[in-house]
Amino acid sequence: MNYVIAGYSIVLSILFLYGVQLLWRRRRLTRAAARVAAYQAEHGTGVSPQ
Amino acid sequence: MTTLTTRTSSPTPDVSTLPLQSSRARWTVRIIGISAAVGVALTVWLGLWVTPPDVSQGNTVPGNLVRLVYIHPGVAWVALYLAFGLAAVASLLYLWPRTRSMFWDRLAAAAVEVGVVFNVCTLISGSIWGRPTWGVYWAWDARLTLTAILLVLFLGYMALRRIPAEPEKRAKRSAFVCLFAAVDIPVDHFSVLWWKTLHQGATVLNPDLSPTIHGSMAWTLLISFVALTLVFVWMLLVRYRIGVLGDWLDGNELDVALRERQSEGVAADTGGAR
Repeated sequence: MNYVIAGYSIVLSILFLYGVQLLWRRRRLTRAAARVAAYQAEHGTGVSPQ
Repeated sequence: MTTLTTRTSSPTPDVSTLPLQSSRARWTVRIIGISAAVGVALTVWLGLWVTPPDVSQGNTVPGNLVRLVYIHPGVAWVALYLAFGLAAVASLLYLWPRTRSMFWDRLAAAAVEVGVVFNVCTLISGSIWGRPTWGVYWAWDARLTLTAILLVLFLGYMALRRIPAEPEKRAKRSAFVCLFAAVDIPVDHFSVLWWKTLHQGATVLNPDLSPTIHGSMAWTLLISFVALTLVFVWMLLVRYRIGVLGDWLDGNELDVALRERQSEGVAADTGGAR
């Protein structure tokens, strides 16, 4: 049973940690984008994705 | 592709160019994430406590090893078929002139990154299953080796994407590499039929399409596939969003940096004139 527990634990830990890392990356980029948009609003120009 | 837009200054931040996500899209991602978490919890509960051990070996160490069937084939299904398969289709659609769009490039990049994580999980869970079954964590068996090659190929794809280049150029060469790497997917799938391997044949998608698993074990296997597919979809959506934000920032941060440098130059000139 130890192998089974190890298999489940390792796989689920990797998926959980990757999921947390994705959320952290998304939050960091969302904040950076909001900062850049605010700067552009103050200074006049911006580049928008089409 | 980007376009330059000009607008007047306003006291509140104008986020009209921000790649915003609608409230519905945010809720969809949340609901998929919650469903995936519930599905995985259900799989663990069913797999470890509810389903019986192997009928021929009983409640012994080898008899309980069969419980890994609820996690290992599921992650392999996501990695090999869903993630890398989707990346190959998206790359093909990017290369096809009529459907060429950065959407397909971002989708392929997102699918590959998530697929690589699932591929690592496949190799680790397979090795853990192999140790008590074959006596070794690793064997240079056709299925195992081809899965490892797939991982290396898609790691190469990810490395290629990090080389600085114009977005269109990067997308085009990445799509070619993705299609080249994807050739390994059908070879890996049929390897257990084409060569004599340690790895067992397909339990469900065998040539006769007659599953060799039944009852509560079959249902738990099905639930594990659905749960891990939902995990993949959630990760793919979040990773795609990261790609959109990253591309937007690549275009705009340079614009901001140039404007800051220009304003520094103007300030220096004004100071010098005084």
